[in-house]
Amino acid sequence: MTDLDPVQVEVIGSALESVAEEMGEMLVKASYSPNIKERRDCTTCVFDADGRTLAQAEHIPLHLGSLMGIVEAITERHPREEIRDGDTFVGNDPHTGGGTHLPDIVLATPVFSGGELVAWVTNLAHHADFVDRAHAHIFQEGLRIPAVRFARDWEIDRDILDLILLNCQVPRERMADFRAQLAANRLGVQRVQQLCERYGPDTITAAGEALMDYTERMIRSGIAEIPDGVYHFTDRFDSDEHEGELELGVSVSVRGTDMSLEFAAPPQLPCSLNMVHTALLVTVFYAVKTVVGPRVPANDGMFRPLKVAAPEGSLLNCTPPAAVNNRILACQRVVDLVHGALAQAVPERVIAASNGAVTACTFSGIDPRTGEFYVYLETIGGGLGAGATHDGLDGVQVHMTNTSNLPVECLEAEYPLTVERYELIDDSGGAGRFRGGMGIRRMLRVEHDDCHCEVSTSRLLSRPWGLSGGQPGARTEVHVLDAGGRVTGRSSSSTTLRAGEVMDVHTAGAGGCGPSAERRAEAVAADLRDGRISAATAAEHHGVPASEAAPAGEGIPAGREVPA
Amino acid sequence: MSWRVGVDTGGTFTDVCLFEESTGLFEITKVSSTPDDPGEAVLRGVRDIIERVAPGTEGGVERIGYFVHGTTVATNALLQGNGARTGLITTDGFRDLLELGRGRRPKLYDLAARKGDPLVPRHLRMEIAERVRHDGTVALVASEEDVRRRIRQLRDAGVDAVAVCLLYSYLDQRHERLVKRVLAEELPDAFISVSHEVLPEFREYERMSTVVTNSFIGPVMRRYLGRLRTRLRELGLHCTPQVTQSNGGMMSFPSAEALPVRTVLSGPSTGVVGAAQVAAGSGIDHVITFDMGGTSTDVSLVNGGKPSPAPGMEMDGRPIQVPMLDIHTVGAGGGSIAWIDEGGHLKVGPRSAGSDPGPACYGLGSYEPTVTDANVVLGVLNQTHLLGGRMPIDADRSFAAVDRLAARLGMTRTAVAQGIVSVVSANMARAIRVISVQRGYDPRDYTLVAFGGAGPSHSARLAVELGVAGTLLPQRPGALSALGMLMTDVRSDYSRTVVTPAAPDRLSTFDRVFAELAAQASAWFEAEGIAEEHRNVEKSIDMRYRGQNYELPVPVGNGTFDEIALKQARDAFDELHAQRYGYASVDETVDAVTFRLTASGVTPRPAFERQEPEGADPSAARTGTRDLFLPEREAYLPAPVYERALLRAGNELTGPALVEQFDTTTLVLPGEHARVDPHGNIVTTIGRHRD
Repeated sequence: MTDLDPVQVEVIGSALESVAEEMGEMLVKASYSPNIKERRDCTTCVFDADGRTLAQAEHIPLHLGSLMGIVEAITERHPREEIRDGDTFVGNDPHTGGGTHLPDIVLATPVFSGGELVAWVTNLAHHADFVDRAHAHIFQEGLRIPAVRFARDWEIDRDILDLILLNCQVPRERMADFRAQLAANRLGVQRVQQLCERYGPDTITAAGEALMDYTERMIRSGIAEIPDGVYHFTDRFDSDEHEGELELGVSVSVRGTDMSLEFAAPPQLPCSLNMVHTALLVTVFYAVKTVVGPRVPANDGMFRPLKVAAPEGSLLNCTPPAAVNNRILACQRVVDLVHGALAQAVPERVIAASNGAVTACTFSGIDPRTGEFYVYLETIGGGLGAGATHDGLDGVQVHMTNTSNLPVECLEAEYPLTVERYELIDDSGGAGRFRGGMGIRRMLRVEHDDCHCEVSTSRLLSRPWGLSGGQPGARTEVHVLDAGGRVTGRSSSSTTLRAGEVMDVHTAGAGGCGPSAERRAEAVAADLRDGRISAATAAEHHGVPASEAAPAGEGIPAGREVPA
Repeated sequence: MSWRVGVDTGGTFTDVCLFEESTGLFEITKVSSTPDDPGEAVLRGVRDIIERVAPGTEGGVERIGYFVHGTTVATNALLQGNGARTGLITTDGFRDLLELGRGRRPKLYDLAARKGDPLVPRHLRMEIAERVRHDGTVALVASEEDVRRRIRQLRDAGVDAVAVCLLYSYLDQRHERLVKRVLAEELPDAFISVSHEVLPEFREYERMSTVVTNSFIGPVMRRYLGRLRTRLRELGLHCTPQVTQSNGGMMSFPSAEALPVRTVLSGPSTGVVGAAQVAAGSGIDHVITFDMGGTSTDVSLVNGGKPSPAPGMEMDGRPIQVPMLDIHTVGAGGGSIAWIDEGGHLKVGPRSAGSDPGPACYGLGSYEPTVTDANVVLGVLNQTHLLGGRMPIDADRSFAAVDRLAARLGMTRTAVAQGIVSVVSANMARAIRVISVQRGYDPRDYTLVAFGGAGPSHSARLAVELGVAGTLLPQRPGALSALGMLMTDVRSDYSRTVVTPAAPDRLSTFDRVFAELAAQASAWFEAEGIAEEHRNVEKSIDMRYRGQNYELPVPVGNGTFDEIALKQARDAFDELHAQRYGYASVDETVDAVTFRLTASGVTPRPAFERQEPEGADPSAARTGTRDLFLPEREAYLPAPVYERALLRAGNELTGPALVEQFDTTTLVLPGEHARVDPHGNIVTTIGRHRD
């Protein structure tokens, strides 16, 4: 093994990250579908020869879990000697390796240098497809693709492609996105080969080992700063897919530089909320990293100090044939759990509960303008929890995701939908010394009959908790409005809408931090003036007399009338 | 006997340069900046430089035939958040778009990461009932009464500026025009900008952010330029003064007062223009510019003599969508501090020692090693003084600072110093890959033009790292921005989004939109008083495959846009797409999305002095020898030191060698061959053999 000094490791590490970033840019720009191009719902990675992550382009934290295990799945099916330069493999199956839900399709390509397999470049794109499905078990959720050869000598295997495309509802987009995914890997292969030519493959391998050691040291030094102890936390979890609330819990033990997390969860359910183990692992890693070292590079070394366990066959560690499509809702709750537990040890380093969901709306149907089937997926953010020194951000994507929205002027031209309102919800952030982030109201009107709409969200029944005496944020609400704006129903996860009907989604706010009576008077006044809180909240939580709190009293315009 | 004068305001100094067109005389001077009233230093600088070239002349200012100013007034107002009290008027339901943006949080793993405060507080964002649809039809007609009521609320709240951004204003301007008219009636003194005039392009958030930024900095810039214009006139200036803009061109003071957002990133742009011109003068037109200063480094790509354009960028998370140059900035420079993180890795920057206390070797109270200290240890920099003797240094302090890191890393002093340089090189190379490789260009086809105080000390190593063929070190690496200002064209950009299939039966749309843009350009040419023979127009169309949501700009000719032109544009798009993204879909429908027209008034380029080449022998410029550490030999070797001012055209150097001048030191590596060209630039070629 080549011995490297920290400078060489730093330089090669920077080069590997640059490869992952370049692949990411290529994938975003070369793809077709708005979900990848505009919303950046994709991730690129460089793995070592054994499939361990060396560098990831930071797009979506949960995707790291979707890429883990793909190389193992490939090498289980394909003897190493049959894997050749120019091959690319595809996979998406959470249960057999290579994904955390079926729309995340992974492409993995080996990198050869001097005849040896020295690394893998991989990428994942969330294909907005497989819609209008059932979720009792995974066979209903879409096409399961084991780790199979997708291309030879950079030529896509037409048979495999046709098999996949026949199972897709928008094959034209899928086709173009696959091409972009392959182009991104091809670029990655060239870049890693150039690095091998320059430094020698052994040096790259040694640098990879050193990078993982480095991340491990960084994480350990962060864990060491947390007082030893065992910290418990429980929370409730709900979704329209399941009646009532479920209890989830964690007990986090910190000892020196090791951390072990044991989760309690109900048995897996016949709906799409279940998580596979890799999804849990990467979710825990995310939550721990935010506390112990936001800047630590995400590679395989990050898991070494962590022990993560959940009962097999449970919601948080499901077994086949559990359905998993909306596992991200459970992931978001797991992050809150870990932060809630660690709040007892290091309250200044965590934040209150965030909006607790990735509120995803999927619209599909026949676009009357073209006569073609369309699928439009969007995810709506909400409040981010407040911390010991700052308010929570209003209306952002939190924790395990970070997709962009599609501009209204693109969306309406592309799909038979109209955005009526897109705004922050007054009074939705939990009060506190620091206020929780505000939720988002998004109203989408459908412009044709027989529009199938699915809304997947959480915190419909409970409110995101506050920290250190802070108040909880507002809960999620989803309504269907008729053309006249009257509420005609509360959405269940799946609805068929007529032209003129509106899906009116209110995402949850986030918890506040610290006693609300301690909030600075100027901050309360600014929130009041800006309509972020009501006079009633100012009076109830911040001790502002109603006479002073009335906006009219200050003669400052409120911007607009409060909608009925 | 006309003079060209450029004045560039910086944080510490205001640079002034003067070029005499008839003689080729080029003079440059610095005066201290006056941050409270930047115009004062501008005026003093102008008087100073005239006194230098024509001492005792009365009324010298009248000889100035060309005056251009680079200002940071707008940029500073934005960075410091002290622009105007600004209101926003937008479509009902969308006032929060200004902070919702594209919905992403700024940092994935940092729970405490903040977003920049919105430039318009929520209570000053008014919604009006109106709606245009994506096909241009008006679903809800705006009522003047509603508009007036909202504007009066803003008036009562005491705003100094208002931005207007309604959905689809690029398709139908009527509602924005109505708002603009009522604003003029109700708030006659406020600074007004409306989105279809500032940026008639689709994507509402980017447009809103841009027009809000324009209004936020508008009053500050209008006040500053208005006052400066008066003072310059009183001083005797009778040409139209110009301001540099982010696209590398310039515009008149009145244009800049209406569109200050176009000046926000003008600083680094003029350096790129200067570097491109200097390189072109030496016959090199494929260039990577590398401007390494004390705290940060700017890199950009120049193709065929033309700096690469970019459609916009983000500042503090706020998109600014105006034509600019594709410049990538890295937070590391000569003053950046090297440190060891919790995992035991050597890191450089983004913290910088600045000029006070400066690097450890300055002895002004900093004990942390900077990039400059590493270069002192390695013998790249002089070990007794810098800045031509003005700054005495203590090399022992550099040694001690680097030794502290060496002890913790278990490495030798020289290995750590060389390590600091390697980490910096790697960061720079990564930035250059973003603007070259990621855009489909191979850096090996380019020459690295290095400037800024630290650029020439690092360019050779960076050249090796990138595999570029050679480097060019301009004669005055500190004066490129000033020089760029004297070589810049007056420029104005026009655009409009009209999504149209690139099909022969839609040619009338292409004609109509380009005719509209051309009419705007003609009006501008007239207003700026640009003579026919100096007018230049360039057109392009942003195109994409149908269904894509990302466009590529395709240049098109100036003739009639007929079927042949359409076919050429389509082919050019496929080719560009293949170059950038590795494939083309020649059978897919292509949409034209945004039409663009750039109007420029061409400024004749000054011709610089040339020296007749003398002999290759540089020994007359040799001032001594210094031990230079060469990692490829794992030893210090004696390297000849030359004085840049004494080098003559035709002189040749073979590395290792060091060239010192007032504001920088050039390192020539073993295997690198350098030659002084007739313009006094050092041009090097990198040997093929590698370490």
